[in-house]
Amino acid sequence: MASIDIQSIRKSFGAFPVLHGVDLTIRDGEFIVLVGPSGCGKSTLLRMIAGLEDVTSGDIRIDGKRVNDLAPKDRDIAMVFQSYALYPHMSVADNMSYSLRLRRSTKEKIASAVGGAAAKLGLEPLLERRPKALSGGQRQRVAMGRAIVRQPKAFLFDEPLSNLDARLREQMRAEIKKLHGDLRATSIYVTHDQIEAMTLADRIVAMHGGIVQQVGSPLELYDRPANLFVAGFIGSPGMNFFEGRYLVSGDHADLRLPNGTTMPVRKRDGVESGSAATLGIRPEHVILADNGALEAKVDLIEPTGFGIIMHVTIHGIPMKIFSQDRRMLKPGPTIRVDLPQDKLHLFESDGKRVD
Amino acid sequence: MTIVAHQKAAKPLRKRIADASEPYLYSAPALILIVTVMLVPLVLGISYAFRDIQLLNPFSGGFIGLDHFRALSEDQAFFRALRNTLWWTGASVFLQFFFGLILALLLDKPFAGRGLAQALVFLPWAVPSFLAGLNWAWLFNPVIGPLPHWMYALGIMDAPNNILSDPHLAMWGPIVANVWWGIPFFAITLLAALQAIPRDLYEAASIDGAGPVQRFLSITLPFLAPTIAITILLRTVWISNFADLIVVMTNGGPADRTQIVASYIFTQAFKRLDFGYASAIALVLLVLLLAYSMLIVVLRQTLLNKG
Repeated sequence: MASIDIQSIRKSFGAFPVLHGVDLTIRDGEFIVLVGPSGCGKSTLLRMIAGLEDVTSGDIRIDGKRVNDLAPKDRDIAMVFQSYALYPHMSVADNMSYSLRLRRSTKEKIASAVGGAAAKLGLEPLLERRPKALSGGQRQRVAMGRAIVRQPKAFLFDEPLSNLDARLREQMRAEIKKLHGDLRATSIYVTHDQIEAMTLADRIVAMHGGIVQQVGSPLELYDRPANLFVAGFIGSPGMNFFEGRYLVSGDHADLRLPNGTTMPVRKRDGVESGSAATLGIRPEHVILADNGALEAKVDLIEPTGFGIIMHVTIHGIPMKIFSQDRRMLKPGPTIRVDLPQDKLHLFESDGKRVD
Repeated sequence: MTIVAHQKAAKPLRKRIADASEPYLYSAPALILIVTVMLVPLVLGISYAFRDIQLLNPFSGGFIGLDHFRALSEDQAFFRALRNTLWWTGASVFLQFFFGLILALLLDKPFAGRGLAQALVFLPWAVPSFLAGLNWAWLFNPVIGPLPHWMYALGIMDAPNNILSDPHLAMWGPIVANVWWGIPFFAITLLAALQAIPRDLYEAASIDGAGPVQRFLSITLPFLAPTIAITILLRTVWISNFADLIVVMTNGGPADRTQIVASYIFTQAFKRLDFGYASAIALVLLVLLLAYSMLIVVLRQTLLNKG
């Protein structure tokens, strides 16, 4: 186990830059999730830590030691691939023991390491099978087993659950969390699935366009997104946004929408009156009230069982509301809603959050 | 009423006949074609082996039983050709495979100009074997070709002689030409197999701690094994049947030193015009190659079942 220190890492493929200076310090035993849309550079960053991609500039340190020029095998890390990358002509036991055999560990040590990992992951009945005789979930487990037998300094996960069906993904997610609880090993986990990010991470690193947008605990990102990208990316259904102008009049402030209507907001310091701003509110924070201040035209109802997602239009702007009130399955053509002040997020014209 | 009854009785019968013959009628054109172009010549050729057929002897053509095979069992030239065939096939296949594999491994790595290099590497395959044979025969000829002089300059040979006329070295001439001509086959098939190996596996292995040699042994080779088995089987059968280069370059000489079974058949049939004897030799070669193919197929099957 070890800390990982990433300092102003840049990466370009030819003339095409994909990472624009990433700084990140990962503490010993921490579970970090890199999350972002496709092409945001999260996998590239992970592969650079693993040593599978060259570093264009910057430093990567594992346990204080600079590893930029070390081969993957000398970095003492283990990686779980999206495709699992199991060796098809080796049995499960051989797959798991391959790294130990290459390091010429003793037979007893290999047997105990493989046995321990197999017991932890429930792989004992499958040890003699080949990967092709396993289901997707079992293969995933073998890939994890292969990673843990070696007791590396850090685990790297590259979208390990993307190839599983939804139910299995849920189950494996919980198992990974449990496993991390047992091993307390430093882990870096790449995913585009924000539920995985929220549930697994000690800290989430939200990335977009090769730039780290925000680093923080899952609830920090949910409650206080640092910018418009994080606000829109974290949470499902996504946050609603209203673009307009922030106007201060005396003690209170308003957001004036393009159609001229105003929405009252809490007055914030440091934002100039008249500047462009975006107001955000999560669908689950919108209050349905018969005497609400705003009228919303109902466009569409999506029942999910757990709740109802309502697509509505307020002042000509489409937005979503999440409600667990079953009466909303059959609302009238319009409903009345309130946007509670303390749940409103305000973002400046450059996308940054203002408190 | 009677008409209806009559029709009822007649229709099923005609329909039954039509139904029964339908699949045969559909497949008849293809079957007739296959039988006429494949089976008839094959049976005819096999029948020649048991008949005395010499083009220059108008009284030949009679059935002689196993006489050809008795003659064959005492024919020293045939046994020499059999040994030469083993040598010719073994050396050609091994060298073609060896260089083909190296070439495939080199072409699998990305580098500038790879597309052009691939096209060039596959060029010999497009050269007619007859032309390739003539070309190499000239290259080995000290009067017009540079190779003997180069080998002399490098000290490989005592004098810039034509190796094709040296009884001890002559076989190397067609083998070299054959290797040059056949490398692309292995390079193409092995390259295709190489590119089907998922890259993740190499990355996982490099993280697991495998060096280049271990990665080759524990990932590349197991993945290539089925392709290697089938290509070597194919090439072995083709090359042992492949007399073009030898006929063009040495014509079996000097002193039958480069005579393989296939070229011996050619000599018997088209030089001495003894079709009966040539057919008997061909039949023996056919049986040997069939036995070899079965062996490889069984071997591959057991390997696959184990794997």
